[in-house]
Amino acid sequence: MDPQQPEPVSYLCGDCGAENTLKPGDVIQCRECGYRILYKKRTRRIVQYEAR
Amino acid sequence: MTVVDQGDDAAKEELPTPSYRSLAAPLTNPVDKFALLPAFLKVRGLVKEHIDSFNYFITRGIRNILRANNRIEARNDPNIYLRYTDVYVEKPSVQVDYKIERITPHFCRLTDRTYSAPIKVDIEYTVGGKEYILKTKRNVLIGYMPIMLRSYPCVLNGKDEAELARVGECPLDPGGYFIVKGTEKVILIQEQLSKNRIIIDTDSKGRVIASVTSSTHEIKSKTVITMDKEKIYLQLNQFTKPIPIVVVMKAMGMTSDQEVVQMVGRDPRYADLLFPSIQECASERIYTQQQALQYMDEKVTYPGAGNQKEGRSKSILRDVFIAHVPVKNGNFRQKCIYTGVMLRRMMDAILNADTFDDKDYVGNKRLELSGQLMSLLFEDLFKTMNSQAVELMNKNSDKTRSSPLDFSQLIKHEAITTGLERAISTGNWDIKRFRMHRKGVSQVLSRLSYMASLGYMTRITPQFEKTRKTSGPRALQPSQWGMLCPCDTPEGEACGLTKNLALLTHVTTDQEEGPLMNLCKSLGVEDLSLLSGEEIHAPGSFLVMFNGLILGKHRQPQKFANGMRNLRRSGKIGEFVSIFVNEKQHCIHIASDGGRVCRPLIIADKGRSRVKEHHMKELRDGIRSFDDFLRDGLIEYLDVNEENNALIALYEHVDQDGVERSSITHIEIEPLSILGVVSGLIPYPHHNQSPRNTYQCAMGKQAMGNIAYNQLFRADSLLYLLVYAQRPLLTTKTIELVGYDKLGAGQNATVAVMGYSGYDIEDAIVMNKSSLDRGFGRCIAMKKYTVTKENYGDGLSDRIAKPQRDQNGVLVKQNMRALDEDGIAAPGQIIRNHDVYVNKQTPKNTDRRVAGAPLADRDYANAAVTYKGIDGETTVVDRVMLCSDTNEKLSIKCIIRHTRRPEVGDKFSSRHGQKGVCGTIVQQEDFPFSERGICPDLIMNPHGFPSRMTIGKMIELLGGKAGLSCGRFHYGSAFGEPSGNADKVEDISNTLIKHGFSYNGKDFLYSGILGHPLEAYIFMGPIYYQKLKHMVLDKMHARASGPRVLLTRQPTEGRSRDGGLRLGEMERDCLIAYGASMLIFERLMLSSDPYQVQVCRKCGLLGYYNHKLKAAYCSMCKNGENMAKMRLPYACKLLFQELQSMNVVPRLKLA
Repeated sequence: MDPQQPEPVSYLCGDCGAENTLKPGDVIQCRECGYRILYKKRTRRIVQYEAR
Repeated sequence: MTVVDQGDDAAKEELPTPSYRSLAAPLTNPVDKFALLPAFLKVRGLVKEHIDSFNYFITRGIRNILRANNRIEARNDPNIYLRYTDVYVEKPSVQVDYKIERITPHFCRLTDRTYSAPIKVDIEYTVGGKEYILKTKRNVLIGYMPIMLRSYPCVLNGKDEAELARVGECPLDPGGYFIVKGTEKVILIQEQLSKNRIIIDTDSKGRVIASVTSSTHEIKSKTVITMDKEKIYLQLNQFTKPIPIVVVMKAMGMTSDQEVVQMVGRDPRYADLLFPSIQECASERIYTQQQALQYMDEKVTYPGAGNQKEGRSKSILRDVFIAHVPVKNGNFRQKCIYTGVMLRRMMDAILNADTFDDKDYVGNKRLELSGQLMSLLFEDLFKTMNSQAVELMNKNSDKTRSSPLDFSQLIKHEAITTGLERAISTGNWDIKRFRMHRKGVSQVLSRLSYMASLGYMTRITPQFEKTRKTSGPRALQPSQWGMLCPCDTPEGEACGLTKNLALLTHVTTDQEEGPLMNLCKSLGVEDLSLLSGEEIHAPGSFLVMFNGLILGKHRQPQKFANGMRNLRRSGKIGEFVSIFVNEKQHCIHIASDGGRVCRPLIIADKGRSRVKEHHMKELRDGIRSFDDFLRDGLIEYLDVNEENNALIALYEHVDQDGVERSSITHIEIEPLSILGVVSGLIPYPHHNQSPRNTYQCAMGKQAMGNIAYNQLFRADSLLYLLVYAQRPLLTTKTIELVGYDKLGAGQNATVAVMGYSGYDIEDAIVMNKSSLDRGFGRCIAMKKYTVTKENYGDGLSDRIAKPQRDQNGVLVKQNMRALDEDGIAAPGQIIRNHDVYVNKQTPKNTDRRVAGAPLADRDYANAAVTYKGIDGETTVVDRVMLCSDTNEKLSIKCIIRHTRRPEVGDKFSSRHGQKGVCGTIVQQEDFPFSERGICPDLIMNPHGFPSRMTIGKMIELLGGKAGLSCGRFHYGSAFGEPSGNADKVEDISNTLIKHGFSYNGKDFLYSGILGHPLEAYIFMGPIYYQKLKHMVLDKMHARASGPRVLLTRQPTEGRSRDGGLRLGEMERDCLIAYGASMLIFERLMLSSDPYQVQVCRKCGLLGYYNHKLKAAYCSMCKNGENMAKMRLPYACKLLFQELQSMNVVPRLKLA
């Protein structure tokens, strides 16, 4: 399967859209604007959907 | 009286002097007043009553509460005190790490927070030590107040569309609700009987009663005066027995019988009715106030603590008996007069039965809104907080302490915060102080569709019990006209009790009383204290009642009423003050209290509308707003009572049948405004059978569609969306007003009304497969799954581990394929049943821990959260959101999306209460088609029409078809044909003919199967169809063998537990009747909970099987001689044992 390097997963700020990386135990907060909701980025893997 | 007649003069100038010619001349074109409706809604909004009420509470109500309880002092030293000088509610914010952060509603929804703002007070207090030091402090926090969206303190207040979008809010969202712990809560409008008003009614035994529910800031009480066996009594909870009313009058100092009779009225018939009561009083030998009080003292329910016993009944009379009538300096005169009026009203009712009050009359009702409910709650919590502070202070001052006594240290803000939050989130209004215990006051705002949320905001719930079978309160009241929607009510239990506001209704909030009272006096109201009993009821003069209180009397009632009305029209007094002349009761009622329903009407002078074309032009040009219409006296608000003094015409230009035009005082703005928001989306509702409109009102709330502009950024626990939602081809004006055309919940389907395939019986629908491929009825179901990373203290917490892989980098467990390297599923990934979406691990022992040592991998147990979906369906992780909740724990929210095509069994409905399930899906090749190549999206069986009589649906089809061909949206507003807000069938037919269709909407179709022309012309055209939330996928359920309940070993119950299908009592009866005993045996025993037991033949009790001795044994008989083996249901054995545990011995007798 897809051999994945342990690249750190980054998250997008819900307000300004800046990329953030998180370590376990970090406070969930954007480094740029201080917004407290982060979203995961969309998967980079290839996904095949059924369009019916 | 200079102000009074200005308005009238202006009106007179405008009116030409009538001549024969001018009267006979045809009317000029009617003014199109429709533009007033959007203007009204722009100013007031759809849920203005909620927001107004809350704003009143925030700006005034909270101040009044504080002012009423502004001083607390230590018990044993009144010099140590605290005084609140001011209070204000700030903008919503939270305190994080001693830092104040502003919050937005959308942020609260996403992070499960409460959208609340700090309540700050300014205080002045003394610090006690040896001497007292006076200190002041500003901005002291006393708690957090949940804030209604779009109210004054809300950040959304006054924002335009772009600004709203910036804070993540939908501009079409009406606001008016709260966000508590992330869920949106509405405080429903509560319907109550009006307070402080005399209601004449009959009780269950047919006796005439006059009752008043008094409500003041201090006390709530109910005073009942009944007539029993021709004698009149007072009933109060504080007295064990009914008290003769004349005794009460005497106790209040009115010792002369003549005066009592005068108070009621000099008509001899009143005296006749009063005579037995007077006689009874005399027979009790009560002549003086002292004697009367003594008599009443003996009948006090709780004689109380001895010492002040003689004053007991007097204090009841002062404080409880018609409590809202004030007693100033021990002067009971006002109460006497009030009692006299009550008696008079009662006797009027006896003499003339049509003067009874109707409890269901809307004018006798008050609607309690969120502001009032919140203020009750806040008042209670505030008082509790203060009394707690006092208690603490008393405790502190008893002990000798080194620290000085200081009230400001004892004010705790948690009580108010949690109290308000808990009440709104549970909906339980338990206020002991006001003896109020209500459940279900607040409800979760349904976000099923835009209409559902709007419908919640206008809903009115009743206060009385629902079980009453009487039809009275459920029936449609004529006084509901224009105030409450006649269509929108649920079916079944709450039918007719739960109501909805109409489109233009406004609910009033309290208004300042003092200035109004003074104004009345200066307009010639004679004060009550100056009048003798004889003068009060002098013929020709009317009593003036102000909010239920008798203010005085006026000798020229009509002139007074006109004066007050002119003042209101000129904006000198509040626009919601109502002036109602009651000819029957000889009263003028002036009301400025909150909770009355009212609506705007155009004022007419002798039947001529004051709103002229140039006014409307100014409105269209944006120079004039709705408020200007109010201010210029063109439009005014009338409440239900005042409507009785008005003659309201529907249209200006229609000759009223048998009504003289000059007697018309008001003109309706638009007849469609008698309907509510939800029923407003039905096209041509006035052509439908009325229950169909009611059904549609219920179904419109279940339709899937667009919920809000921010729907894709929301995180509701379940969200249904329609993929290609459309706006209806046949719209109504209401649809445009409320924004349903922007957030539609349905699609325009081409419908052929014909029989097809036999899978269309009983309202089933045949659907075109190609239409489904094109996206008809396709919907998205989004579900939120929340995982919290728990903290256990000592730095011990759950962890989110990355998925395990072997040395080749291949996943060890296949169900972790959706996970990213952070152990959380990635958006865009397909997720199937049993897949892990958060790979959580919990520490194995959370209690004891070696200090300092970090935990190793083996100290964690696997607690991966798996997705439970439907096998064979592809669902996708839509979004993954990380945030910390209020307890600073990490919470991970995965929103999982499932796109669904319609399938057989899914429920659809048109907008006319015509629901049906999809019966079959047919290839387009087999579908009928017209000469133009038009092929319907669905086929509906014509049997749906004759019994339902939904002509509106037929006109919708015609109008939609004409709309398609001419490229213009057609309208079908309620009662809209005369005013041009609905297209007439004749015009539609002409349009159809112009575009080559038959006038009647029927088309020539070919059979799709055989290719030959169909024998009949088929009625075909577009109808707006809604997909309802009931889908087979969520409901279908079957099981062979499966999980069982631990206790009874029988199959579980319910779909969610993969339960069995019960063969119940009635099914059992059938099988018994049929004689299929073996089937019963199989169903009830073999397929359920078979069990083998050892029974002792001798004692009949259950024994056991000894596996060592390989023999059965009876533990009762202490031997194994008479044992028998038998099978019975485990539940039966359980029953025996449970009976035994209760000392009941069931014995089995084996034959």
